[in-house]
Amino acid sequence: MAANSSGVSSGAQLLLPEVLARIDNLELLARKVVEGFLNGIHRSIYLGLSVDFAEHRPYMPGDDIRRIDWRLYGRTDRHYIKLFEAETNANFVVLLDVSRSMSYGSHSVTKLDYARYLAACLTYFSRQQRDRVGLITFDEDVVDYIPPSARNLDLCLHTLHRAEAGRPGELYNPLLKAIESLRRKGILVLISDFYEDTENVVEAVRLLQSPGHDVIVFHLLDPDELEFPFDGPSNFRDMETREELPLVPGKLREGYKELLSSHTAELQERFTASQVDYTVLDTSKPLDQALFHLLLHREKRSRAR
Amino acid sequence: MPLGFLVPAFLLGLAAVVIPILVHLTRKQKARVVEFPSLMFLDRVPFRAETRRRIHHWLLLLLRALAVALIVAAFSRPFFTGSAEAAGAGMGPREVVVLLDRSYSMGVEDRWDRALDAAREVFEDLGPLDRASLAVFGRNAAVSVRSTSDRNILLSALDTLRLSDESTSYGPGLKLAQTILEETDLPARELVLVGDFQRAGWTGDEGVFLPYGTVVTPVALGSDVPVNRAVARVTLPRQKLDGRDRVTPAARITRVGGEMEDTVEVILELEGRELQRQQVVLPANGAGGVIFDPFNLSQDYTRGAVRLSSPDELEPDDVNFFVLSPGRAISVLVLDDAGRGAASSLFLREALAISEENAFGVTVRAGGGVSNADLAETSVVVVNDGSLPEGNSSAALRSFVEEGGGLLVVMGERIRWPSDLADLLPGAFTEPLDRADGRGGRLGFMDYDHPVFEIFRGPRTGDFTGARFFRSRDLLMADSETSQVLAKYDDGSVALAEKRVGEGRVLVWTSTMDAFWNDLAQQPVFLPFIHQLVKYVSGRTETVAAFTAGQVVDVTDATAMATAGLGEVAEALAGEEERVVFTPSGTSRPLPPGEGPHFLRLEEQGVYEIRTPGASNMRSLAVAVNVDLAEADLTPMDVEETVASLTSRPPEGEAPRMEGTQAARLRLEDQERRQSLWRFLLLIAFVLLALETIVSNRISRVAGKRGSYAGS
Repeated sequence: MAANSSGVSSGAQLLLPEVLARIDNLELLARKVVEGFLNGIHRSIYLGLSVDFAEHRPYMPGDDIRRIDWRLYGRTDRHYIKLFEAETNANFVVLLDVSRSMSYGSHSVTKLDYARYLAACLTYFSRQQRDRVGLITFDEDVVDYIPPSARNLDLCLHTLHRAEAGRPGELYNPLLKAIESLRRKGILVLISDFYEDTENVVEAVRLLQSPGHDVIVFHLLDPDELEFPFDGPSNFRDMETREELPLVPGKLREGYKELLSSHTAELQERFTASQVDYTVLDTSKPLDQALFHLLLHREKRSRAR
Repeated sequence: MPLGFLVPAFLLGLAAVVIPILVHLTRKQKARVVEFPSLMFLDRVPFRAETRRRIHHWLLLLLRALAVALIVAAFSRPFFTGSAEAAGAGMGPREVVVLLDRSYSMGVEDRWDRALDAAREVFEDLGPLDRASLAVFGRNAAVSVRSTSDRNILLSALDTLRLSDESTSYGPGLKLAQTILEETDLPARELVLVGDFQRAGWTGDEGVFLPYGTVVTPVALGSDVPVNRAVARVTLPRQKLDGRDRVTPAARITRVGGEMEDTVEVILELEGRELQRQQVVLPANGAGGVIFDPFNLSQDYTRGAVRLSSPDELEPDDVNFFVLSPGRAISVLVLDDAGRGAASSLFLREALAISEENAFGVTVRAGGGVSNADLAETSVVVVNDGSLPEGNSSAALRSFVEEGGGLLVVMGERIRWPSDLADLLPGAFTEPLDRADGRGGRLGFMDYDHPVFEIFRGPRTGDFTGARFFRSRDLLMADSETSQVLAKYDDGSVALAEKRVGEGRVLVWTSTMDAFWNDLAQQPVFLPFIHQLVKYVSGRTETVAAFTAGQVVDVTDATAMATAGLGEVAEALAGEEERVVFTPSGTSRPLPPGEGPHFLRLEEQGVYEIRTPGASNMRSLAVAVNVDLAEADLTPMDVEETVASLTSRPPEGEAPRMEGTQAARLRLEDQERRQSLWRFLLLIAFVLLALETIVSNRISRVAGKRGSYAGS
C-alpha cells in the first residue's frame, strides 16, 4: 500500500481501514466493469503503455492521419481510424471546496470531513491506476494547489488532512484560476455543496470541461440540509455571510425541501446534458456507496463511448 | 368528598405555577441561533410570521406546573373532611385513659390475657395526635404511663404489668382517670375501662364525675361466673393452759355457684407443714365450717395457713394465711382501799378475769404504797377508790406513767390523792355529788371516736343508757392540751377524762367500779367497758393475725407496726438499724431506717418476713397478708348502668367545651395527620420532577445535537 509504505501518517490516516477494505472489494468488481475508467489496472503495470482497441470509425476530415488503420484500408479500400478506450497515465485532480459552509455537520462527520475522505479515496484509487494525482482546494480563491504528479499522493493526502473551512466560497473565479494551470487533459473531480445559482454552477463546470477534461461532480449535502428537521423558532445564521434570519422551521420545511430538490434536479439535468457525472451524496451514508455509484456510472459512460 | 387545608395560607404559593409558564414563554423569546450552511433556499421560502410567545414543550410545562402545584398543596396540608379517616378522628385528638383492673379475680380463666389484648388494641388504634394513659387498679390505683402519644412506651408498659392480689375497688381507679381527663387540653376524652366489673368492687358512692363529653368504653370480661370456693374466715381463739397459749383454729368455707353438694378437704398448715386435714360438705351457694384440733403456740411469729386441698379457678381465695405469737397478758395492779379490803374491787377483778385469751393478769393489793419493783412487771395500775401514800410511792408511780405505764383512777368515797401527783390528773376533783331526784344520773355523752368507746359506736354493741349514777365526784378539768373529757353525765359533769403524761396515759373515772355509787357494774356493758378501759390505758396495741393485700404500712409508725405485731421493727428502724423485708414471691428490699414515713406496701398474698441483714440464725419477724374475700364474689354488675353513672351531663349554662378555637384546630390537625395526604402529594411531585428531568434532558440532547456540530 502506497500510503502505508510511504510512512506519511498524516495523509494515510484519512484512508480509513474500513473504507479502504470496502474499496478493495470494489476494486475486484471494477476490473470487470470499468476497465475504461480504471485504465491499466493490471495490464498497464506489466505491459507499459498498452492501448486497448475499442472500435473503428470512418475517417473524417480533421482526424489525425496517423491513426488511420492502413491494414484495414488494404482489405476494404476505405479509410478507417482506430479508436482506443483510454489512455494511460491520465491526470487525476480533485477540486475540493473548502468554503465555510462545508464545515457544517449534524452528526460526527462534517461535509468537509466527508469530502476529505472521498477525495483521499479517489486520489488513492487513481494512484493505484498509475495516474498522476493532484489536488486543488478553493473557497473564494484557490487555497492549495498541488499539480498532478505520480509522486504527489502523500502531498495530496497531507494537504487534505490540514484543509480547513474558513472563508466564504465561490465557484467561478477559483475554478477559472485552477483550469488555467491544468493544460493536460485529465479527470477532474469537483466536490462541493454548490450553494450558488444553478447557472453559476453549470457555468463554472463548463469552464472545467472546456479544455477537454472529464469532469465528475459530487454534490455533498448533510442530512439536515436534505431533511431540514429543525423545530421551534430559531434564528438561522448563514455560515458564510453571517446573516441571521428568524424562522419557524416547521412551517418552512416543505418549501425548503422543494427548493432544494428542484435545485439538485436542475443540476442533474444540466450536467447530464453536458455529459458531466453528477452525484448527490448524503454525508450520513457510507462512502463506498458513493464510489460504487461512481464506478457504475463510469462503466456506463465508457461503454457508451 | 370535601377537601380542607390545615395551612391554607400556603395556597398562595400556587402563584408559583406562573413561574414555569413564564420560563417557558421567556425562554422561547430568546430564540436559539442555528448555524446553517446557507440561507439561499430559506430566503426564498415564503412563510408567514408567527408570534414567538408560544409554548412548545407542553409536556414539560405541564410536568413543572403540576409539580409546583403539588408541592404547594402538600405544604398546605390537605385532608378530606368527609372521609372515613376524618370520621375516625371524630371530635379530634383524644386523651384516652385505659383503666385496667388487675385484681386477683382477673386471674380467672383468660381474663387477664384478654384484658391486655383489649388494652393493646386501644393503644394500636391511637391516632397521631392522640395521647393515652395506662392506669391499673385493684384496691389502690396507680398510673403506669401518663398521657403520652408514644405507643411503644404504652405497649412496653403493658408487657410489664402483672396481676395483683388486691381486691377490686373502682373508686380509686376512676378518681385517677378523672384527674387525668380533667387535666388534659385535648378536645376529646375517652375512658376505656377493662375489667370483670364485679359488683363487689362498686359501692355506688365513688363520687366520680368524669368530665362532660367523656366517652366511656367498657370492656367487660367477666360474663361467666364460675363455681368458686373460698376460705372465708379463719378464727384463732386461744386459751391459756399452764401458761401456754392453746389455739383452736376454725375456718369457714364458702361456695358460690354449683348445683350439688360438694365435699372439700381443708388443710391446716403450720410453718409450711401440713398439720391437719378436715373435710367439710358444702351445699350449692352455701357455706360450711371446720374446726381443727387445738395446738400449742410455742414461739413468736408462728406462720400458718388454712387452705383447700384442691384449688379452683380463683386460687388466691382458697388459702388464708396467719401469723401468731404467744399472747402476753396485760398485768394489772389494783390498789384497793385498805379499809374496805378486796371486796371493793370484786366487780373489777371479775370483769378482768373473764377474757377469752386471758388477756389480763390481775394483782390486787389493799393499801400500802408501790415501789419500782412492784411496777416493773405491771402495765396498768388501778387506784380503786383508795389512798395513795406520798413519797416513794408517788415518785415510782410518776416515773411509771411517764415511761408508758397506764394509770386508772377510780374515785369513790375514800379517794385520797397525794398532792405531789396532782398534775397527773386531768383536773381537780371535788367532793361527792349526789343525784337528788332518786333516779340517779345517766351518762349523757360519750366520745365514740375515742378508742375506749369506739367499739360501742354501732347499735347493739353496748348500752350505757341503762346504767344509773347516784353519786360521783366532779372533775374540774385543767386547761391543758393533754387532757380531754371522754364521757359526761347527763348533768354535764365529767364522768371519764384522760390525760397524757409522758409516754403514759391516765384515766379518771369519777364514780366507783362497784355497785355503791352506780349500777354500771351490773350492766352487760360493764365487762367490755372495763376491758376497753384497761386495754387503752395500757397502751397495748392489739395485733392482727393477717393483713389484706393492698394495705400499706408505714414502717416508721410505731403504732401501726405494733398493730402488725412488728413493733420492734419500728423501734429498730427508729434506732437507725437496718432491716430487710422479703416478700412472699421471694424478692427482698431494705427498709429504710430513720425518720419516715416509709411505706411498705403489702401487695402480695402470703407471709412477709422481716430480718436483720446478716443475722441468718435469728428468727425472722413475719406478717401475713390475705386477699380481700370481697373479691371472691365474681357476680358482675350491669355495665351499662355503671357507665351511665360515670358520664355526666354538661353543667347548666355552660356550653360543651368542644367548641374552642384551639379544640377545632386540634381536631383538624388530627384529621390531617390521620390521612397524611401531603406525603402522597410530595411523592407524586418528586416523581413528576424526575420525569421532567428525563424529558428535558432528552429534549435538550436532541436540540444540542443539532446545534453542536454546526460550526464545529
